[in-house]
Amino acid sequence: MQFGLTETQQMLQKSAREFFPAECPMADVRRLMETPTAHDPALWRKIAAQGWTGIIFPEQYDGLGLGMVELAALIEEMGRALVPGPFLSTLLAAAAMDAAASETQKQKYLASICRGDSTATLALLEATARWDLDAVEMQASGSTLTGRKLFVPDAGAADFILCAARSGADLALFLVDSKAMGLTLTPEPALDATRKLYQVGFDHVAAELVASGATARAALERALAVATAALVAEMAGGMQRVLEISVAYAKTRKQFGKPIGQFQAVQHQCADMFLLTESSRSAAYYAAWALQENVPEARLAVSIAKSYASDAYREVGNRGIQIHGGMGFTWENDLHLYYRRAKASEIAFGDAAFHRERIARLVMDRA
Amino acid sequence: MKIIVCLKQVPAKDSVLRIDEGGQWVKEADLTWEVNEPDAFALEEGLRLKEKHGGEVVVLCAGPPRAASAIREALAKGADRGIHIEDEALGRADTFTAARAMAAAARAESPDLILTGLQSDDFGYGQTGVILAELLGLPHATIIMEVEKRDGSIKVKRELEAGWFQYVEMPLPALLAIQSGINKVRYATLMGIKKAKTKELKRLTPAELGVDLEPRQQIRRVYVPQKTKRTHLLEGSPKEAAAKLVEKLKFEARVL
Repeated sequence: MQFGLTETQQMLQKSAREFFPAECPMADVRRLMETPTAHDPALWRKIAAQGWTGIIFPEQYDGLGLGMVELAALIEEMGRALVPGPFLSTLLAAAAMDAAASETQKQKYLASICRGDSTATLALLEATARWDLDAVEMQASGSTLTGRKLFVPDAGAADFILCAARSGADLALFLVDSKAMGLTLTPEPALDATRKLYQVGFDHVAAELVASGATARAALERALAVATAALVAEMAGGMQRVLEISVAYAKTRKQFGKPIGQFQAVQHQCADMFLLTESSRSAAYYAAWALQENVPEARLAVSIAKSYASDAYREVGNRGIQIHGGMGFTWENDLHLYYRRAKASEIAFGDAAFHRERIARLVMDRA
Repeated sequence: MKIIVCLKQVPAKDSVLRIDEGGQWVKEADLTWEVNEPDAFALEEGLRLKEKHGGEVVVLCAGPPRAASAIREALAKGADRGIHIEDEALGRADTFTAARAMAAAARAESPDLILTGLQSDDFGYGQTGVILAELLGLPHATIIMEVEKRDGSIKVKRELEAGWFQYVEMPLPALLAIQSGINKVRYATLMGIKKAKTKELKRLTPAELGVDLEPRQQIRRVYVPQKTKRTHLLEGSPKEAAAKLVEKLKFEARVL
């Protein structure tokens, strides 16, 4: 097993580390936060030109056929720069398409995503806000959808929406054009303004069946695992940035005649933040590697990573704000933007409790 | 047009520099490395010229084994092949030694144009390109802000002092030392990173090129400049003190 990043992966990481702060600096993050969708088509085109929109998808669909570890290295840098927009939601939808769609659908939709021509999202949650697939109740009537989905990420920026619904008793996955008749998008208040959430209403909306039954379930489980592992890597990147900002502040802010970083109480906070960040990163990369290699404990690794990172990012954010004191929650300081992302990421794709329960189930099932 | 771009790998800008036990250089074990920033601008200019006029870009680096990653980064950005003159001693080689090694390799390539960065971010001598041109018998120009290829020649814009520029037309082959900021450096794309694996990276030793690495200059001591601060109280009325202050700013600090 290779524990470090390969030279190619390091090169990708370096490229991304140079790209995001230069092409999407914090001034742009703040500008995009104020827009209805937080999506910048010009930035998206640049991201696509780098090949990142198709990073893990097969070359036959204009992807680059790289692995989950490469994706983790990329998205960690996106988290570090707090990149707004629909990358994660598009990845989620594309992973589901890759796992379940027909050849024709992949050529039409997945290839379009890989080229950077389209964005997408997945509508999964309903009124119960439960992330397990058994909670899906919305009924499809043939190829027509009627009902309501909640907390759909980046729906306002999506060109098409994948929707999980029931076809009879079976789980099914449908594709809906975002301009379809009967489709309504209502923005929902979200703590993290860089990642918009929507309520999506379906009123006899014509949809295209992607998969049903066991295929749809397997595709959704795979897509959620891919997106969750990616989210944890993104969270590790965010934690790293909060740590950097806080350490830099502790070195310059003076109290009682010396930098506050010289006080042991502040040093302990920084050391704990470092521990939480490094542990999250290790868990994220192991989960990414496990998914890439399809090892049997891949789902377990994803849940371990997410359960840890959900608590860790929030805690790193808390401690960062403590180190900053009053400065930490002023609007001008970037720290609160990361804290908002931490709180939104904490519950996205299941919070720590959800994943701990899943870990217990997976471990007991194996025993 | 065959373009050689000379690259150097230097300590990353955010590295924490600690002076080594001998007091003659920094502790390299603590460092991360990156492509010398002015060389990155030279590479970008080479790639743009190739894209406009055709030909190939060859990256040439005289450095220790670790410097191979800098060459592969250049290949990922679009250079066609690389030449690595590899020796541990080249990491701290003086400009003349580095230039002699690169001249030996460049001579065999018969390039139309050689591009270097204006200076390196570590030693900062700004001499390697100029010495390389002299060793190869090529016309050269430094502080280049613009390059325009013409039939059998190039017209370049040089940055002079106080906002002045100079335009020079030069015959080819030639060597140009590129000024930082001449262009916007591209990122290595994923496709480029994948392709870089299959591109040629030729390794040469100084011995194969017939170059000895006997240094022509030595660094005696590396040290952090000591900061000194002195407070001088100007006596007299405010008017007198102001007059004394102006005098000091004019003739001692020389800022007025």
